[in-house]
Amino acid sequence: MKKILGLFAALAMLLSVNAQAGDFAEQSIVLQISDPNPFKQTLVLNVANNIIKHYGQDKVNVEIVAFGPGLRLLFAENANKGRIKSLSGVGVKFSACKNTIKAMSKKLGHAPALNSNATQVGAGVVRIVDLMNKGYKLVKP
Amino acid sequence: MINKNIFKKTLSAAAVVAGLSAMQVAEAANWLMLQGTERPGAAGRAKVWGFIQTQYQTDNSEPFAHPTLGDMYVPPKLIGPNLSSQEQFNVNRARIGVRGIGMPLDSTVNYFLLAELGNNAITANDGDVAISDASITINTDATRIRTGLFKTPGPEEALQAIHVFDYINFTSVTNQLMLERFQQAGETNIAPADLTTPSEGVGRYSRPVGAFRDVGVQFFDSFKSGKWDHSYAVMFGNGNGLNFGDNDDNKDTYVYWASELSYGGKGPRAQGLKIFAWNQSGKRTDPDDAAVVEDRTRSGVGVKYLKKPYRVTVEAMQGEGMIFMGQHRPADGFNDKKASGHYVDFGYYIPDSKWEIDLRVDSYTRDENHGTSAAGDESTFDTTTIAAQYHINKKTRVTFEQSSRTFESDTAAVNNQLKGVDTRTAVQLTHIF
Repeated sequence: MKKILGLFAALAMLLSVNAQAGDFAEQSIVLQISDPNPFKQTLVLNVANNIIKHYGQDKVNVEIVAFGPGLRLLFAENANKGRIKSLSGVGVKFSACKNTIKAMSKKLGHAPALNSNATQVGAGVVRIVDLMNKGYKLVKP
Repeated sequence: MINKNIFKKTLSAAAVVAGLSAMQVAEAANWLMLQGTERPGAAGRAKVWGFIQTQYQTDNSEPFAHPTLGDMYVPPKLIGPNLSSQEQFNVNRARIGVRGIGMPLDSTVNYFLLAELGNNAITANDGDVAISDASITINTDATRIRTGLFKTPGPEEALQAIHVFDYINFTSVTNQLMLERFQQAGETNIAPADLTTPSEGVGRYSRPVGAFRDVGVQFFDSFKSGKWDHSYAVMFGNGNGLNFGDNDDNKDTYVYWASELSYGGKGPRAQGLKIFAWNQSGKRTDPDDAAVVEDRTRSGVGVKYLKKPYRVTVEAMQGEGMIFMGQHRPADGFNDKKASGHYVDFGYYIPDSKWEIDLRVDSYTRDENHGTSAAGDESTFDTTTIAAQYHINKKTRVTFEQSSRTFESDTAAVNNQLKGVDTRTAVQLTHIF
């Protein structure tokens, strides 16, 4: 019985991992934003949108990783929050660097409020390397 | 109160415009937010920006042939700000500034700084430099607080960003009623003169015009309610134009409200339907006698509809006290007279082209029903302006403009000077960077 349960558990984990990777995705792309230039915020969102439009939301995995000055994109108050919500709705993932959050918290005196669609990751650059190891292609608009 | 007829006309026009836009969802440009705030989380530390306007203007007015003094000119027959000829090339605006958020991690505070290097009524003389805007905005949950020198809440024609103004010259009502002149002690305003002694006759005040600006503090914000975006502003200022300091203890109060229905787009050329009303009130101290003060009140209503390819703007304004008398009564800039005016503007963006055509009809009446003159002492200024704009690209355009003017006065001596006012033609190139 234990063996059967263990088998089910392993199968469930495998399915979960596969589902995260996007079973039917033909492409996996990670977009990096680490630039202070506000224009880059618009650009990275445009690129994500264009990728989704080109491949179709079920055929591509897109993740935007923000770190350094680029983390401002994922501030809760950011003027692009409407677009972030829309892109999140079509499957684009947003990752916020914890190291940057920690550094910005020191400067601000409090942690910055983040967009509810953002997921915190240990280090932005490590997240990018991990994704690349899983087959993601890195694009820095 | 606004003149009843003008008010009725404006309301009717507002109803027509509202009808045009019925059943559609709605924001015209929100100048309070565009000029006083930055995009949170998405603005830089210092964005350098500005614009240059170069122009050519020629005036076809005839001088008044005075029996003994010869040909006399008044300002509407001459090209400003120099007022020394009827034909002029000019760099009328050359502005450069920076704006942004000093600490990009925290969007609570933003700033706006702009300098004028062109030749116009802000810079009293060629080569002068003036600061036209220097403000800091603090954004709180309750309201936004803007302090410093900036445009006061008021009519659309004055409050809008000048680099996207669809014409070259202001309407008479905006030029005379809203563009405040600051007379200094001993100054006698502008008298008719011949062109041989322009500096002594058709001169200018020594101080720059107010440029629709004041130094003070403004509480403002914008919020959504259903499909509408509502904006308010309450400002307290020196009432001393571009001067950083004040010349008396009297303070001006400005109140503004706008409700907007957005049709899309963003920035200064956002499309939408905007209905607005405003009031300005304050006092001025007589430069020749500090014990004498005069009320200055201005108020107005208007509506702007912009949904390409059409644009319609209607505004009505009225004022009492400190009515600019120009060539009418040269030594009488400090007064309790009344004035009112209005304009209607139509724009058509020719589809699939870079051309835009514009038509504007404006009217201004000064010194209405003045009590000291049984025969009446009014002057009226009616202008029809046709214009065309060719957009070379999003940042560059050429504006062509021709104004037909009928200026007249109940007072014969003044009418003599005004009746020769004729057409004015202008071409202007604007480049924004």
